[in-house]
Amino acid sequence: MKQRTRVFIAVGVIVLLSGLVLGVDLLRRHNTELPPGSVPIYQNGRIIASSVPEDLASLEKVSFVDDEEGKTQEGWLLRDVLALYLSLDGLGAETLITVSSSSREKSADLTWAAVNDPGNMVMFDLSGRGTLKLVSRSEVLATRDEWVQDVDRIEVR
Amino acid sequence: MDKQRSPRLPRSPRLPRSPRLSRSPRLSSYFSTFELILLTLFSALIVVAKIALRFPIQTPGHSGLFWMAIVVVAAGVVPKRGAAGLVGISSGILAAFLGMGDFGALNTFLSYTMVGVVTDLALWLLQNPENLVVAGLVGAMGHMGKYLVKWMLGAVTGAPLGFVALGLAWSLVTYLVFGALGGVLGGLTLRALRKAGFFTYLAERR
Repeated sequence: MKQRTRVFIAVGVIVLLSGLVLGVDLLRRHNTELPPGSVPIYQNGRIIASSVPEDLASLEKVSFVDDEEGKTQEGWLLRDVLALYLSLDGLGAETLITVSSSSREKSADLTWAAVNDPGNMVMFDLSGRGTLKLVSRSEVLATRDEWVQDVDRIEVR
Repeated sequence: MDKQRSPRLPRSPRLPRSPRLSRSPRLSSYFSTFELILLTLFSALIVVAKIALRFPIQTPGHSGLFWMAIVVVAAGVVPKRGAAGLVGISSGILAAFLGMGDFGALNTFLSYTMVGVVTDLALWLLQNPENLVVAGLVGAMGHMGKYLVKWMLGAVTGAPLGFVALGLAWSLVTYLVFGALGGVLGGLTLRALRKAGFFTYLAERR
């Protein structure tokens, strides 16, 4: 077999597998009621919005270096994300915001005061897989174990 | 008193060795000890590089740049089928035991292993990793193996659909690009090693 043919076969395999991944994903997206790329936001048990990735792109990005591993966490502040979908005036200092991940079976409860404090840097970092990870410098989420990966629900109470 | 000697038992006839057993392809006979040591060192290098090297870019799959370079160099230095796979498996075991990766030991082990196994398959098809086009393709394919593991496990464990979907195409492209770049880097390193006479040195050691 000529080298050129081998290269064509390799490129074909890459294209085929890429097509397979994207095709299966497209199929999965058709089977969901929520808009693709959305994280539902609930207020007092009622769904009020679905955060979509296009909306996040319009927000200002922030970053900090975590103390534990010295990695840069970059993304969007949770308060900015919430501001896109609900009136922040209605939130009291003790309003509880729960960010959770069903696949990781993890959640974090934060007060609005903690989320609104710019020093806490309560924010979403876009993980390597393209999922949202709740990270922060606040005491509530001081260690990486407490961070919430693969966020798929935000609840305001 | 005369010692009474116990009657000697007749010796059992020696059975002929099974030709299949005597020719069993043991790992140590397929790879020389020197090659096994080299491959293990490459595995350790992958894990160390993954821990120590930090690129200030928040792009999925950027570690493929050094990862695939090391795997391609390992497969070039030990040009035997299974060399990259062995590097993948041993680096996977090391990484899993060191608790690396965000998604548990199984995910880590499978990701590392798949990089090696797919690189082996790609090299079986494309052959010479010193050809830069081949090296790039091998790097891209090997790194895609890791991506596929992450994607499949993500789908099985039910990671949030939307943002995976958002990042999917973009992640795929960056995985392929960084893998290809790593492969080319590995190919260039192999060329430089050949130029420096490293392969002549290795031939003498074997």
